[in-house]
Amino acid sequence: MKPAPTLSSAFLHPAGQTLPEPLLALRKQRASALVDMPLPTRKTENWKYSSKYLKLSDDMAISLPAEGKAGASLAIPGYKVVFTNGVMIPEASEYPDLDGISIQSFSDLSADEAQSLSLQLGSTLNHEQAQFARVNGARFEDGLLIRLKPGAVLDQPLFIIHNTEADASGSAYPRIYVEAGANSQMTLVEEYTSNGGAAVLVNTVTEFNLADGANITSIRLNMEGEQVQHIGATGVLQAQSSRFESHCVGFGGQLRRHDLQVRLEGEGAETKLNGVVVTQGKQHYDNHTSIDHVAAHCTSEETYRNIAADQSHAIFNGRIHIHQDAQKSSADMNNKNLLLNNGAEIDTKPELEIYADDVKCAHGATIGQLDETSLFYLVSRGIGRREANVLLTMAFINELVNQIPVQAVRETAQLRLNDFFEQTFQEI
Amino acid sequence: MLSIKNLHASVEGKEILKGINLEIKAGEVHAIMGPNGSGKSTLSQVLAGNEAFEITGGEVTLNGDNLLDLPTEERAREGIFLAFQYPVEIPGVSNLQFLRTAVNAMRKHRGEEEMNAAEFMKLAKEVSKQVDLDPAFLKRGVNEGFSGGEKKRNEIMQALLLQPKLAILDETDSGLDIDALQVVSNGVNALRAEDRAILMVTHYQRLLNHIVPDYVHVLAGGKIVKSGGRELALELEERGYGWLGIKDEDTSN
Repeated sequence: MKPAPTLSSAFLHPAGQTLPEPLLALRKQRASALVDMPLPTRKTENWKYSSKYLKLSDDMAISLPAEGKAGASLAIPGYKVVFTNGVMIPEASEYPDLDGISIQSFSDLSADEAQSLSLQLGSTLNHEQAQFARVNGARFEDGLLIRLKPGAVLDQPLFIIHNTEADASGSAYPRIYVEAGANSQMTLVEEYTSNGGAAVLVNTVTEFNLADGANITSIRLNMEGEQVQHIGATGVLQAQSSRFESHCVGFGGQLRRHDLQVRLEGEGAETKLNGVVVTQGKQHYDNHTSIDHVAAHCTSEETYRNIAADQSHAIFNGRIHIHQDAQKSSADMNNKNLLLNNGAEIDTKPELEIYADDVKCAHGATIGQLDETSLFYLVSRGIGRREANVLLTMAFINELVNQIPVQAVRETAQLRLNDFFEQTFQEI
Repeated sequence: MLSIKNLHASVEGKEILKGINLEIKAGEVHAIMGPNGSGKSTLSQVLAGNEAFEITGGEVTLNGDNLLDLPTEERAREGIFLAFQYPVEIPGVSNLQFLRTAVNAMRKHRGEEEMNAAEFMKLAKEVSKQVDLDPAFLKRGVNEGFSGGEKKRNEIMQALLLQPKLAILDETDSGLDIDALQVVSNGVNALRAEDRAILMVTHYQRLLNHIVPDYVHVLAGGKIVKSGGRELALELEERGYGWLGIKDEDTSN
């Protein structure tokens, strides 16, 4: 029998030493724990459908150089922080110094701040379910720490652009940590983009720690190039009466994986998770979400839609765990899927574990094709077949796209989705 | 304008239309009546190009051109319009977007410039008034959550916007109360024109009190068994289909 594959030791050596000492020490400690980390295979439950898309080579272990290009200046209706290959580019970033809100790169933290951050990094995640978050913990070169003091409100969305620039193989490890004080509010947009056709790994971790009454909206746009293997994890901890809303819009690629883990730890916390994925060609996309209802009287509402064309492969795995003391929980999970071609594959799996007896929990999953009756109705009005297909496919996700609260992001998503459909149906 | 010769059609191997012959000239209004299962809706669907039906014989021409060779969207662009008996609900596509896409597809076909959103909005608001539909409906999903009457009014609104050469109305009166019937009939009467023909398919003659046809045909068993003028419909109302030796399983009205 072949020995189980393990992560190459090449991946255990970060490049940069510009971080404050406590974070360097943390990174080193996490790296040593990764020796012989097993790589997922098709026998690994949470990577069952996706392990075959994972293709790590030793030259991808090299940290992509962070210097130089800041990318084109994007017109953004809000504040922005730009990262290239996981390292912040201050000259491309624009955000004000606001009362009660601090936005800092990890490299700029004082020893004390870094020390306290090192105790928090990774605390929002279950690493058993998000193995690659550990690799990020051993490799991050920089990161963004956002701290909102109690009551602080960010008046405009903050865009974090994570661009990967690669002429040759390598990897990048973007990291974000958000500490939202009591009753603070912000909207954060993470946009992942890439330049260059080299085979790269982008391994991200984003964490949100919400104190009582905090209200955070997170938007995640995954628009990287075909060759990028993207493995990202987002961890969310919610205290009493806090509210978290997430909108993920993802375009497929060689490998796309996002783990979103939410823990409702304080009574009355609410979470809403929306997701849209489109794949074409031989692309892949895998969303794994997990919601832990730990405290009583919490609400979760989750809606994900996948559209798979050609020979592409989309996966949704939604786990809801209602703990014993989480009475009066309300959880609603819905996943609908559209297969545009016979060669495409969609796998959907709800996982419900309910240990409390007084809960409301609903889930539903469907996989279907475009409705022939609707198609006939549209073409009977003179609308071309291709346009009718685009209209119906857009209709399948419009409900979710329309809920994206930042207009500029919504429009960007719509434009990209339109391009996607024009391409998908070009032969009709 | 429309010429149907010995048309045969089947669905799932079962022959429904067994040799239809019909000539419709511009400016005329024809009514096809018949009991349930006689093939009325099949005829409408076949003319509009629904691929669920297989044409097994005969020919159909529109102004001399073979209609059966054209895909549905091209038939529509050549001027065929079918008001559906059961209009389809399409959540996620707004009525406005749907209507503008359709109108612009037609304009493009005629070599006219496409209408922008503002121009179209103005036109759509005017036409929605004509069928007594609140313009708020334009913002909703296509037929989404519309009542039966609202759906039928939306069909007529589409006909008014698209200005077809031949409007086929499939059971447009079904499910309408008397007020809605009046509104829908006014819309259809507004469509009547010298260069346009209308083909109404209906089980009951009450629609024909509002939209007076030039010719009435009785369809039974997949064939037209009798043709006549307006008075044929009245006779059918009085005497039922039994008078023609046709069994009608649904005689309630």
